[in-house]
Amino acid sequence: MLLEREGLLGALGDRMVDAGSGRGSLVLIAGEAGAGKTSLVRAFIENLNESTLILFGACDPLTTPRPLGPVRDFASDLPGLDLDRDPIDVFADILDRVRHTIRPVVLVLEDIHWADAATLDFLRYMGRRINDSKGVLVTTYRDDEIVGDHPARPLLGQLTPLSSTHLLPVPPLSLDAVTQLARDSGVDPEELMRITDGNAFFVTEVLASGGDLPTTVQEAVLARVAQLGGRARRVVEGVSVAPRSLEIPHAVVIADAELDDVDRALSAGVLIGEGNHLRFRHELARAAVEETLPPARRLGLHLRMLEILDGSDDLARIAHHAIRAGRSDLVVEHAPRAAAEAAKRGSSREAVAFYRAALNHPDILGPDRTADLRVRLADELRYVEEMDEAAEQMRLAIEYFRQVGAVEKLADGLSRLQAILWYLRRIDEGWPLMEEALALLRPRGPSELLAHTFYRAGHGYMVARKAGPAFSYNAEARRLAEELGSERVMFLTLMIEGANQIVMGDPHEGARLLQDAIVMAERMGNERYVSSALNMLGSGAGEARLYDVALPTLDRAVVLDLKLDADATLTYARSWQARIAFEQGRWDDAVSIAELVDRTTDLREGIAHITALSALGRVRVRRGDPGGASLLERMAMVARGHEVQHGWNAVCGLVEYHWLAGHTDGGAEELKHAYGRALDTDSPWGRGELGFWMWRIGLINAPPENAAEPFALQMAGDWEAAAGKWREFGCPYEVAMALADGPAEAQLEALDILDGLGARPLGDRIRNSLRSLGVDNLPPRPTERTLANPARLTDRQVEVLALIAEGYGNDEIADRLYISKKTVEHHVSAIYARLGVTTRAEAARAAHRLGVANRGASTPG
Amino acid sequence: MPRYMVERNFPSGLEIPSTEDGRKAMLGVVENNASEQVFWVQTFVTDDHTKTFCVYDGPSPEAVRRAAEINGLPVDRISEISVLDPYFYVGR
Repeated sequence: MLLEREGLLGALGDRMVDAGSGRGSLVLIAGEAGAGKTSLVRAFIENLNESTLILFGACDPLTTPRPLGPVRDFASDLPGLDLDRDPIDVFADILDRVRHTIRPVVLVLEDIHWADAATLDFLRYMGRRINDSKGVLVTTYRDDEIVGDHPARPLLGQLTPLSSTHLLPVPPLSLDAVTQLARDSGVDPEELMRITDGNAFFVTEVLASGGDLPTTVQEAVLARVAQLGGRARRVVEGVSVAPRSLEIPHAVVIADAELDDVDRALSAGVLIGEGNHLRFRHELARAAVEETLPPARRLGLHLRMLEILDGSDDLARIAHHAIRAGRSDLVVEHAPRAAAEAAKRGSSREAVAFYRAALNHPDILGPDRTADLRVRLADELRYVEEMDEAAEQMRLAIEYFRQVGAVEKLADGLSRLQAILWYLRRIDEGWPLMEEALALLRPRGPSELLAHTFYRAGHGYMVARKAGPAFSYNAEARRLAEELGSERVMFLTLMIEGANQIVMGDPHEGARLLQDAIVMAERMGNERYVSSALNMLGSGAGEARLYDVALPTLDRAVVLDLKLDADATLTYARSWQARIAFEQGRWDDAVSIAELVDRTTDLREGIAHITALSALGRVRVRRGDPGGASLLERMAMVARGHEVQHGWNAVCGLVEYHWLAGHTDGGAEELKHAYGRALDTDSPWGRGELGFWMWRIGLINAPPENAAEPFALQMAGDWEAAAGKWREFGCPYEVAMALADGPAEAQLEALDILDGLGARPLGDRIRNSLRSLGVDNLPPRPTERTLANPARLTDRQVEVLALIAEGYGNDEIADRLYISKKTVEHHVSAIYARLGVTTRAEAARAAHRLGVANRGASTPG
Repeated sequence: MPRYMVERNFPSGLEIPSTEDGRKAMLGVVENNASEQVFWVQTFVTDDHTKTFCVYDGPSPEAVRRAAEINGLPVDRISEISVLDPYFYVGR
């Protein structure tokens, strides 16, 4: 009997109706342990139409969960599903089936608070794509356990705002319901309510336990088990050491019992049978029984489970019992294999747990295996962002390799440690390690490892913008790759050659090489490589201000990264879209994209976050809005440990803020530090912009060598040529900054540009300058800019109207302007009101009449 | 949530009639603001109705700007503000 759940079942039913018409959804069923989430799902499933395909999977409370456990649960219902493929291909296969079946599909993921990382990836993948299928994906979780740094928390944060996601909290039972349940029991309903707080499981356990009222749910469960006879009780105890469920034959063996005893345990209602398996009615009950077993008895049961599972390929299960039984020999045998299996599926957190379990027994492992496992553990620790421990594990392994003279392992370890130190922003400690690795490998002749290590060195120096080693190491890697016929390293070095050229050499040549790299990755059929090359070209062309190349490339990168769920590179591509929008004077776009990055990135201090929020801070500074300086100060501080290329925007923006406000040396210390670092690089744009602000506030008198041309021209006093260059690049604010150094006519032109951008502080500065030059008929301040637009529309509304006239729908307009659909709807209704129209067709006609149509929204200001 | 002072200029003067139209206009502004999680606290208007000082609570200056765009209101300057209470000094 399911009380007070009609509303929730009705909501689930509605989702089925939607799914029937091709609008699938994700349903999140949240509640505390024992609230009745599983009962709700089961009641829902029981009432489904027979034609529905039901795929049921659950996560287990294993010491370390099975990688992709729930998917394995229902894999047998999807004939031909190959679980050994790359996880992303497995997900795509399942999605494809859900999309193309004519039957409605209900996919259940139970208890995702216990999910492994790969299962969370699966949920992310499906949750974002289920909307255009006939599927309903139902997940249950204990919302009070997904708190703090629980890995499911950011994921739920990403999925909840989607319009196809529905959150269904399962509330406690009301006093009415408790009264109804307790009707014939003689138990005082109010007392029952007081003890249980309306927790559905607790209520039923109390009512089933008889006798005195228990005060905890454990007591209630144990009271019920105590009513069973000896052997039936042993069955219950045996099942309690198996997370989730146990095969009936195993249960009989482990309990020294008969099949009859299984039936007795079942009829007492403590266990329930599911096909060939026995499980507890609830995990709370299982935990209560297992926790109160005498230690020796519990140990004995785990050992017997190990005997039973001997030879099975369920590695996670074996490792679980081996750990619980304290059988270090078996832990050492099985945990590394379980770890490798988890790593292969992308469940790094689980792999880490298994490797740690094995590494608890170095005496059994021996020093060789210990060192090898440390390397693998360090690799997985990187993915779960425990970088400090990753560095420590790698250091210990390296120490051993050095001691025993394992040269190749030592070299490999050194270059891996360099990469870890780079992430830890201990960049300078890393370079000697890289050099040592190369010195070790070179005398041993050509090898794939040497080629790859050269590539890594070249890549590292490219990121650091040091042209000498960046070009030469990459060239050595390329030569070796050709000699060895390694397609992989050939691709990687082609990409780095292009990146080197675009940011430190000939940008057009670099763009050409990166286009070649994209084509090569496509030919190799490696989409991750395509994504890497797209991001490299998009960001590199952005830095070189080749926007015509950068913008379409970044659009492609975003589309591909969304498809691959490559969130880190996705936010990086978007952060560059924000930076470019800022530089092009499309400040509304820059703000919207930066806000999107801020909302969606997990890496709060990563380079994407710094890039996007630096753009946001600089927009505020140039508009004269509050909050710019504090944001830029924070970003400049975070960026200090990164390579200089990631921090110069924040530093320049900060100095610009103080300069506009008339503070004489605000931000100067930060600027001098960053400029000093930039002089150590071969980055013309870094040297150019940092040098420009050094010059602007009077710290240098002439441009540094190798500064980007427009900055160098302006520093040399040729404001006119600088303005011309900035026009070619398409940076209106920089055009105005250059013109502002000219005579009154040039300054008036600058003012026109700045008023159009809404750049109040620099506009005010130029107005003062013009007044002091004796110019009196200054244009009025643009405080009523909207009056200038047709029909008094705002700039944004003009953009929206132009897109309406081109036939775009609200969704597409939202995508193009990087704003939410809701905001678009508001703009559209405001436009209708102002134009006095009621349909899109009328609005489009009005747009043509007013000359608003064809004023492309993406035309840079 | 930060508090902002938004200065707006109305060269031809701001007029809001105390009629049904005025009521609707105000209601529309409040509803539009809500879409950006921006809350209009109060406004001071100069005698000649050409300049207003509006106090807003909102998540960011950009949200205040977006709300103004939707409402078709001009924005001259946005400043983040806090309260200075003279009697805090005088009363001690």
